[in-house]
Amino acid sequence: MDLLSSALLALLLVGYLVLAGADVGLGMLMPHVARGPAERRRVVAAIAPYFLATEVWLVAAAGVLAGLFPVLEHHAVAELWPVLAALLAGWLVRDAGLWLRARVDGARWRLVCDGAVVAGSWTLAASWGLTVAGLLTDGLVASPFTVLCAAAVMALFALRGSAFGAERTVGAEEAACADVAARGTRTLSRAALGAVALAVASAALPGGPVLAPVPALVLVAALAGVLAATSGLTGPMLSRHTSAAAIAVPGLLVALAAPLPSAPVPSTTAVFVWVFLIPVIPVMFAGQVWLYRITRRPAASPTFFA
Amino acid sequence: MFEDPLPLARLQFALTAATHYVFVALTLGLAPYVLVTQLAATLRGDRSRMTAVRFWGGLYLVNYGTGVLSGLVMELQLALNWSGLQGMFGYTFAAPLALETMTAFFVESTFLGLWIFGWDRMGRWAHLFCFTVVTATAYASAWWVLVANGFLRNPVGFEVVDGAARLTDPVALMANPAALLAFGHVVTGSLLVGALVIAAASAHHILRREDEHGIFRRGVRYAALVLCIAPVPVAAFGGPQFELFGSAPPTSGLTYTAAEIAAVESASGGGALLGAAGTAGELTMVLSWTLMFLLGPVLLLAWPLGGLDRWRWLLAPLVLTPSLPYLASVGGWVFRETNRQPWTVVHHLTTADAVTPLSPGAAAVSFGGFTLAFAVLATVTCWLLVRYARRGPGGGPLAEHRSGGPGAPPEPTAPVHTF
Repeated sequence: MDLLSSALLALLLVGYLVLAGADVGLGMLMPHVARGPAERRRVVAAIAPYFLATEVWLVAAAGVLAGLFPVLEHHAVAELWPVLAALLAGWLVRDAGLWLRARVDGARWRLVCDGAVVAGSWTLAASWGLTVAGLLTDGLVASPFTVLCAAAVMALFALRGSAFGAERTVGAEEAACADVAARGTRTLSRAALGAVALAVASAALPGGPVLAPVPALVLVAALAGVLAATSGLTGPMLSRHTSAAAIAVPGLLVALAAPLPSAPVPSTTAVFVWVFLIPVIPVMFAGQVWLYRITRRPAASPTFFA
Repeated sequence: MFEDPLPLARLQFALTAATHYVFVALTLGLAPYVLVTQLAATLRGDRSRMTAVRFWGGLYLVNYGTGVLSGLVMELQLALNWSGLQGMFGYTFAAPLALETMTAFFVESTFLGLWIFGWDRMGRWAHLFCFTVVTATAYASAWWVLVANGFLRNPVGFEVVDGAARLTDPVALMANPAALLAFGHVVTGSLLVGALVIAAASAHHILRREDEHGIFRRGVRYAALVLCIAPVPVAAFGGPQFELFGSAPPTSGLTYTAAEIAAVESASGGGALLGAAGTAGELTMVLSWTLMFLLGPVLLLAWPLGGLDRWRWLLAPLVLTPSLPYLASVGGWVFRETNRQPWTVVHHLTTADAVTPLSPGAAAVSFGGFTLAFAVLATVTCWLLVRYARRGPGGGPLAEHRSGGPGAPPEPTAPVHTF
């Protein structure tokens, strides 16, 4: 039961990084990818249906953390309070921008909301970078590794976003922003590869991470492999899957190799949660798949969000 | 005040919870009406009723966004600012919240996305099914949250091992009278919020003779019915909760002895201000309820005489009546929650022990930032709700975009194939 509950938490966290990494990353890249109001609308139209179904993974992860792993939650909050508060603020600003963007028909209103989406996405990615670094080093420390690890995670978010943009901002007419996003995948995977290499090198310096060596080495090797593959000429074609694999690695590192406190989940609580959860899992899964399929293309005519 | 993070953390949570509750009450109150209207529209293939779904659904979505944002902040704030609560009661208090996030909110948000983008991408029965799931999970979400909240008032179903609570009886947790009564009270109260918002928007348009689809004559009649029925169960679920306030929970004594409990309760400061807030909340709640209780029969008498479509003296004040259920909701909430002090979990954990040991600076920055953000967000959302309600069905966020209008995309757009 403990293993199952831990697997659930890891699944929700990695699922969040893989799925929400796409819309957070595209939000980060919006100033680069979208030129002019029409392209910005298209980018937001690609993000907007999708974020409703991705941020729920993080909400669920926070719920599981509180209900089944209060000791771990206590540890994370005690070590990372300012980073988590910044993460929450970035999340709030970004979502407010997305919800309010189409509510007033004015160029300046939309510009402010797009600005909120971009700023919120960068804040989210930076906070995740620092959170991952803080969990790997067992508490946030001012060290080269913290900075480089955060930079690497941000590059992985951006890479995921550009792969997502290449796939989903294609429209009926020309697709300039999809092309810009697709070209970006190679540059970003090279940047991410560099950041990962530097972070690995800095791990030996004081203030580096304390990790279980075998899973950490396997995961970092896998990360370097997929990033190297994406740096090549076929990068844009592969990036849909390689970017997902790459951004899963920080989550898996935290889950498998980081020095986290653990306590056995009391059996009554675990049974209580699982008995209610299991019947709902098919509905959760079906809703997610259905929404991803229905929103593969940004809507041509204006919708609720953009 | 700034040396001690406790008052700031408390005020911040109170403001977040109140903001969240105001928007959630309208979500819960509008969802059943939108669902029933969509069912009628789907059964009859009625275009004017589908226009009504788009109009009320648009208001629902504008309101829902702010409800979600404040809910996210509230959930994470529990973890960030109230780590003492999580440390002692993580396995009991937070377990229903974990279930809420997965079995209710996860599904609700996904299916709401499907509903928003499904208008012209799925069959009408599939579209109706999506909103049925949204409504059911919205109520499931309220239930789980109130199971957690009821536990704070009347903690049951656990034992204390090494200073941490271990769940022993999940059934007692869910059948907690403090949770069940609160759920009945909140649900029926939310129906009043929804009904009076519908009544206000309807009265505004009926007074201007703008009702080509019959949306507003149906709306004001629905409000009249709800106002005649709902105030009675609101009071029936609310009244018995007064009895819980004075009594000790069945688990009293597991953490502190009776003498220690008495000492904590007599030593708690700030009682005068808190007591005044609680009494003001109670008075507001009872007064607003009485006015709503009297309004129902007035509307019912006016109905057969045709007053609901014509009487200006009756319809004009209706535009302002949504303030009544909102005042009652916030007043009742303040009353319920201040009454629990100085305890976070009655007779087990004091509020002072529950708060995270924050530095005063961090507490002030967090309080200032999130309070400002919510003030802006709540103001903008209220402004948008009023604006869309006044614009009517033609100008809502879900209004149909007919081809040929200004700004409409060229028709037909070429299909894009992907495999």
